[in-house]
Amino acid sequence: MSALLAFFAPNAWAVFRRNWLAWQKYAWSSVAINIVEPVAYFLALGFGLGAYLTLKGHGSLVQFIAPGLLGFTAMNTVTFDSCWGGFERLNFNGVYESMVTAPVQPEEIAAGEYLWEAFRATMYGTLFLGVIAAFGLVHSWWVLLCPAILAMTGIMFAIPSLWIALLVKTQEHLFYYFSFVVTPMTMIGGVFFPLDRLPRWLVDIAWFTPLFHAVRAFRQLVLGQMNWTIGADLLWMVVAIGILAILPVRTLRNRLAN
Amino acid sequence: MEAAVLARSLTKRYDVVEAVRGIDFAIPPHACFGFLGVNGAGKTTTMKMIYCRIARSSGELLVLGMDAAQHPKEIKSRIGVVVQETALDPELTVLENLTLYATFFGMRRSAAVAKARELLAFISLEGKDRSRIRDLSGGMKRRLMIARALVNDPELLILDEPTTGLDPQGRLLVWEKLEQLQARGKTLVLTTHYMEEAARLCQWIVVMDEGRIVTEGSPTALIDRHAARDVLELSGASAQAAAAMPLDGLVRRREEHGGTLYLYNEDNRALLRRLAEAGFEPEAHVARQATLEDVFLNLTGRELTE
Repeated sequence: MSALLAFFAPNAWAVFRRNWLAWQKYAWSSVAINIVEPVAYFLALGFGLGAYLTLKGHGSLVQFIAPGLLGFTAMNTVTFDSCWGGFERLNFNGVYESMVTAPVQPEEIAAGEYLWEAFRATMYGTLFLGVIAAFGLVHSWWVLLCPAILAMTGIMFAIPSLWIALLVKTQEHLFYYFSFVVTPMTMIGGVFFPLDRLPRWLVDIAWFTPLFHAVRAFRQLVLGQMNWTIGADLLWMVVAIGILAILPVRTLRNRLAN
Repeated sequence: MEAAVLARSLTKRYDVVEAVRGIDFAIPPHACFGFLGVNGAGKTTTMKMIYCRIARSSGELLVLGMDAAQHPKEIKSRIGVVVQETALDPELTVLENLTLYATFFGMRRSAAVAKARELLAFISLEGKDRSRIRDLSGGMKRRLMIARALVNDPELLILDEPTTGLDPQGRLLVWEKLEQLQARGKTLVLTTHYMEEAARLCQWIVVMDEGRIVTEGSPTALIDRHAARDVLELSGASAQAAAAMPLDGLVRRREEHGGTLYLYNEDNRALLRRLAEAGFEPEAHVARQATLEDVFLNLTGRELTE
């Protein structure tokens, strides 16, 4: 069974429920942590730095980064949770081991984690969307599609994060992923500045990263400037999820086979 | 009657080591069956093959009549497992640990809560349902592990070192629960390095060493075969004096380790009388019944093998 078909398995939802029960124990601090960071960037860059400059052809900085930070929020909340959570559940306390000792399959574990991260990305993303809407930076009813795309974004970022979490042998190695993958991806993802003055090769690299597509899609929906690229971006995400979703399953199966 | 677990030439090879080297055993239903051995003897590997965590390298393994390689999901749904390391979810409450685990077996949530409460009563943790795992003692955690293994009403319960690391009271409570489970007709398979535990709980014991079964039998038969009814332990000058004495006919087996002489015999009193008749009054001595400890040490050696 593939990891995506396992979305329909009752045990994938039992794994989801495990995370939901755990999350309830620290819900308020989790909400605060995951909202304060993007809001701090939003205020400091959007109004602090934004007071000094406008982006030629793109309007105000605050209007530009608002949808960018929406993608950034979804990526961060999912990446940190999947990396630390996945590592802990595999290596400490035997959470995954206990699951496979019961009749839960590795693909159901991965599917449950994806569903959970879809939920987190939707929840925190929608909260942040509320913040930028309050500042009058949402201009279109298309924005109502954002929660569904946030959910897909959550699954997309959960896949590599969970995979890395299951691959590494020590927690320190997770920092390599943050420093060498997540941070550069953020810088060229179109979160903080437009990419049209970057070297062509850098933009080509950006095209292969998930954040680029998420941010471009959110920006169209928030601004209401719809064009064909959103179709390409959504297709990119669907294909990436379809191809890569199996990787954490394989790694989990190997790690639990000894 | 069909065996609860049946192994023929069961082998597990890792890259360089052969952890289990062709073992045969048949675990009868409703029995308590013990695997005894030092660390690294292959007990845990054998358990993991039975509960379908790892695949065997060769041989046959039937669990509840099903091939472990072909039907892991069906087997897992009908057995209960208490793994060696405490594996409880620290982010969930005591009750949630049980109810969530029950849903993994397809149980509806309301039924899972009822089952969890019943099990908490069984393991004497009723008042702890809302506690977090970190607030439980070692004995409580181990009992909770046992309760969790029972959520699906398993026919076969596998316990890998269920009392390692527990204090005497904690161990006694676990033993009582396991005896109650056996009285209810469950088949128990456990590993231990405590002879006392195996002697008290198990009707049949296999002793493993370096991946092989070195002997098996009932606790009393093993003591009879590999030790004797009594042991007289002599140390210091008494050991040297007694070592020189001919005690044939009374002593079945002599062992000497670390300056202590172990005389395995059928009756310590008769042996002490013979020594007294020979004008020998041992100073430091321990006269006791032989235990599985003696069997185990005689089979696997008294030196630390790790």
